[in-house]
Amino acid sequence: MIKTFIVICIGAGLLACSSVTEVILKPSIVKLDATFPSNSSIDSIVKPYKDSLAKEMNVVIGTSPINFMTARPKGTMNNWFADAIFVNQTYNVRLTDPVMCLFNVGGIRSSFNKGSITVGDVFKVMPFDNELVWVKLPISSINSIESYLTKTGGEPLANANLVQGKLQLNGFNSQTKFFWVITSDYLMNGGDKMDFFQQKIEVKFTYKLLRSALIEEVKRQGLLVVDSTSRVTF
Amino acid sequence: MVSSGLFFAGNLFGKTIFTQQKKTKVTILHTNDTHSNIEPLPDNHSKFPNMGGVSKRFEVIKAIRQQEEHVILLDAGDIFQGTPYFNKYKGTLEMKLMSELGYDAATMGNHDFDAGLEGFFMASEHAQFPFLCANYDFSKTVLKDKTKPYTIFKKGKHSIGVFGIGIELEGLVPASKFEQTIYLNPIKVANEVAAILKKEGCDVVICLSHLGFEYQTDKVSDRVLAAQTSNIDIILGGHTHTFMEKPIELNNSEGKPVLINQVGWGGLHLGRIDIEISSEKSLFKKQESISVS
Repeated sequence: MIKTFIVICIGAGLLACSSVTEVILKPSIVKLDATFPSNSSIDSIVKPYKDSLAKEMNVVIGTSPINFMTARPKGTMNNWFADAIFVNQTYNVRLTDPVMCLFNVGGIRSSFNKGSITVGDVFKVMPFDNELVWVKLPISSINSIESYLTKTGGEPLANANLVQGKLQLNGFNSQTKFFWVITSDYLMNGGDKMDFFQQKIEVKFTYKLLRSALIEEVKRQGLLVVDSTSRVTF
Repeated sequence: MVSSGLFFAGNLFGKTIFTQQKKTKVTILHTNDTHSNIEPLPDNHSKFPNMGGVSKRFEVIKAIRQQEEHVILLDAGDIFQGTPYFNKYKGTLEMKLMSELGYDAATMGNHDFDAGLEGFFMASEHAQFPFLCANYDFSKTVLKDKTKPYTIFKKGKHSIGVFGIGIELEGLVPASKFEQTIYLNPIKVANEVAAILKKEGCDVVICLSHLGFEYQTDKVSDRVLAAQTSNIDIILGGHTHTFMEKPIELNNSEGKPVLINQVGWGGLHLGRIDIEISSEKSLFKKQESISVS
């Protein structure tokens, strides 16, 4: 018997010697808290970028009288954000059709705190490089906007209100067939599932960053305007 | 020849053929969703004051490299977007620093499209490591031939296969940012690529995933990926910013274990998985076992 085994073995050995592999995985985690040292070579690479950025970001461009709040259905930050864009986009435009602003609570990434407002603070509010667009919608799209706002619990609006679930547009009359919504390219393209923008008739691209418009408005206002009215009721 | 026979005979009575084992240790380090967090979070941060920062991460990794012979450093995507460093420098500093830290490979997250394909290409010119994207077909874009589906790291006598799987871009990333990128079914592609890597002799197959850990809906996640594929041993995930104290273990489509790990966001945590591979010569067909300690 043993002989037979040896023969088999030699044969197998000549053909191929495969391997039995055993793998043991040992997971762990390193939490990078304040106790770890920093590295001077990395710091020296970052420094010129940091300094140049700080010069730009630390510039004070306005003052906030309160701690702004982003919330649903109403928030001082919601109103400030939407109003700032509305004024920025319409102050030298003659409006013939109703125009409103519509943004998303999720897109306002931070709020202004009481005190000085820097360029960096505006970057925190709007870190994304989204551009402003004017979207022309038929009045038949109003229903789907109303149900969207009802479902989410409210979003930032300007020059319009949701009153008991019904959208009221300033400048709306019996002749109105369509209206304009000033929003971001992100939302127009279906971001946050604002599918009603698919009903768009026309788009005017401003090629202007939303953030740039916010910076202009902080500078123009100086002391930020506070409006705590509720623009959304169900 | 005779000795072979003796060893073979030995196998009749015990499990081991050779008593002598060759052990190789490979240390996998990983991050995800670092989101342009170059500096530590500010000291007034509500949840994580002073945590993270590339400089500290460099020191930690340097110390591990001094102790371990074989280190593989990986990132599961969303390198871009989150601080003004990205807005101003369009991702170039992130790529430069990751190269300094010695990253070996990364996959692309949805936010890595935020500078557009051209923007990603420009920034990635500063990356001295490959981007692994197996289920994005970039052949009709500026990123054609700029990414690879997978790569194999030879460590000692062993091979570690790594590939990248990305999330569906439609509805998440503006179409103008991903242009003609074609999104391929992540489950199908992962199965194909993992099989190739095992065939190529990889002892361990790692998937860098930006699918997200889990969802309430039937959306494809790392959990779904683990359950519906075979030949993947470890999924290093991202996208959902999930802080995991330790990885979870699931069974794959063949009932074999898959480890899933994710380390939150911002580079606040560094994930580590030490892989110990020991192999013995066998006269029979190739076998393998993977266990988590």
